[in-house]
Amino acid sequence: MEVSYEHLFTAILGILHLKYLVPLLLGTVAGVIGGALPGITITMTIIMVLPFTFGLDPLQGLAAMTGVYVGGSAGGSITASLIGIPGTPSAVATTFDGFPMTRNGEPGRAIWVGVWAAFLGGLLGGLFLIAATGPLAAVALEFGPWEYFALFVFALSMVAGLVGTSITKGLLSGAIGLVITVVGTDPIMGVPRLTLGTEFLRGGFPFLPVLIGIFAFAQLMSDIEKMRRDGGAEAAGPMPKLWVSQTKVLWEILSRPFLLIWSTLIGILIGVLPAIGGSAANVMAYDQAKKFSRRPEKFGTGIPEGIIASESSNNANVAGSLVTIMAFGIPGDAVTAVMLGAMTIHGIQPGPLFISQHPAVAYGIYAAYLVALPLMVLVIAAGARLWMSIITVPKSILIPVVLVLCVIGAYALNNIMDDVYVLLIFGLVGYALVKLGIPLAPLILGLILGDQIEVNLVRAIANDPNPWLFLTRPISGGLLVASVLSVVLAFWQHRRARLRGAQAEEEETDF
Amino acid sequence: MLGRDGVAGLACLVLSLGMLALTRGLPESAMVPVGPAFYPRIVLGLMAGLSLLLVVFDVRAGRRGRVAVAKAAVAPNYRLVVVTFTTFIVYVVLLPLLGFRIATVLFVGGLQVLLDPPRSARRWVLVLVIAVATSWITYLAFEQYLSVLLPRGTWTDF
Repeated sequence: MEVSYEHLFTAILGILHLKYLVPLLLGTVAGVIGGALPGITITMTIIMVLPFTFGLDPLQGLAAMTGVYVGGSAGGSITASLIGIPGTPSAVATTFDGFPMTRNGEPGRAIWVGVWAAFLGGLLGGLFLIAATGPLAAVALEFGPWEYFALFVFALSMVAGLVGTSITKGLLSGAIGLVITVVGTDPIMGVPRLTLGTEFLRGGFPFLPVLIGIFAFAQLMSDIEKMRRDGGAEAAGPMPKLWVSQTKVLWEILSRPFLLIWSTLIGILIGVLPAIGGSAANVMAYDQAKKFSRRPEKFGTGIPEGIIASESSNNANVAGSLVTIMAFGIPGDAVTAVMLGAMTIHGIQPGPLFISQHPAVAYGIYAAYLVALPLMVLVIAAGARLWMSIITVPKSILIPVVLVLCVIGAYALNNIMDDVYVLLIFGLVGYALVKLGIPLAPLILGLILGDQIEVNLVRAIANDPNPWLFLTRPISGGLLVASVLSVVLAFWQHRRARLRGAQAEEEETDF
Repeated sequence: MLGRDGVAGLACLVLSLGMLALTRGLPESAMVPVGPAFYPRIVLGLMAGLSLLLVVFDVRAGRRGRVAVAKAAVAPNYRLVVVTFTTFIVYVVLLPLLGFRIATVLFVGGLQVLLDPPRSARRWVLVLVIAVATSWITYLAFEQYLSVLLPRGTWTDF
């Protein structure tokens, strides 16, 4: 499946029409603000923006979502650099040098090195997205139900194995996600399963209210727990001077091409692999930049290299994640799981046939991604001061408003209160899981992949009841072996870390 | 004595075994070699196995003596969590009775007051403005521009 540059050019021109540009711009603004707000992740921002896209056509909605994703990835660097608190986990490494640079009296330089590095990393990632998605989707077209089943199991095992501090809890979380999908009508025969005879459960648990409930409540309630500790809002100091020479900043980045390209490659690779997202990409790229540097001792003191590595990798990571979603229909982490859910809600089923069946939407997403990058720069340039004042809004105001948006998001899906009740139930479940130390990302992935795993498993068995085919078909067998190996490897790594006493200590509650 | 992981494992084990029992009444399929109970039994079995493993690991950790861990510097404010959940449950119950606009004003205003009680007249005005604005703006945006009909109240018809 070759890239059609004619399609791409047409799609870019299409996205520049107000009909698409306005949702893309608003999505980017929301992303920048959500990304900059400490405690509001990109996942939460996408969840909050999603209901606003219900009435839009699929490409308008997906343009808004792409804007949120791109804007959010860059927005996190604003607070990371200015107040030393990463707005999102994908900006953690930006604080290492961004905040010291601000304390050294160069807040504008800290922000703009981050923004331009995010732009350039995102742009290089975008080229990879456009070039790689088609060929990878062509490979996936050769897959039968055995290979799909094995691929989904592999993605789930990777996420479950690598998230959190306990692999058993990671796997259990994935299993809970799969169990949620078996409630309701069976996809093959249409038989009601585990519904306890109620109409409420007959349609199963709708994905979006479950997702909003689990994520929003887990996060908001964790914030509420700490409210008296931090007073609910960051102290607003005097607004620093943020404007600097853009050519000088750009030259600072472009004069370090190896650092930029290497960090971008790390971001792309981590984005493509299921399980490890932007939160890992920025730290790994920072670590690599330090290892390759001729002045590693300067890292952490406010040098541009640290910011370039972190920001270029976490934005390239967005493109890598989109490749995996669009070519295979597999989300890599919680953010991409929500992105995939957003696509599904807009009637788009990403996967190998996506580009050939919906070329206008696929190229529209490429175009939206490419246009979102300069928009992100403009949005940050135009409103840096305004975004900084928004992030000082107290949580006592923010939380009720976010909860109302969650209710609308759940209700607007089918215009029924049942979905709001599902939101409430899974809000309680999400918070309980967090308190029990069970990671949420594998659960969400299980929730998204559950139906597909079942359909492909039953389809494979219906084609040929021989179960050994799962192992004897090379790709399927290879993926299943890789799944087992990933779990074994994760067990081994956890065990080794525990023996070394290096494992992070967890809060323990005895009952 | 079970630790946090043991409690989590036990709860999941009970849930998965209960759900496994419910799959017994499901019919077999004449069209495909596997019926509607086939896949749920696999995932529920997996969940039960992992839950059991979590309990076993926790019991073993308990025998070895759990690692003493540092408590958070300030205790989590569970009172506010309970207040928020309760207020939200009341909001969800009142939504179909009072309608979106009235219930949302009450919820946003009420929760702001509960989370951070106003200490000045200016703050009270701000609470009210935010409550009304949230309700009004979301209603306008969704009903007028995004064609999403929000709940009407059976008591208020509003």
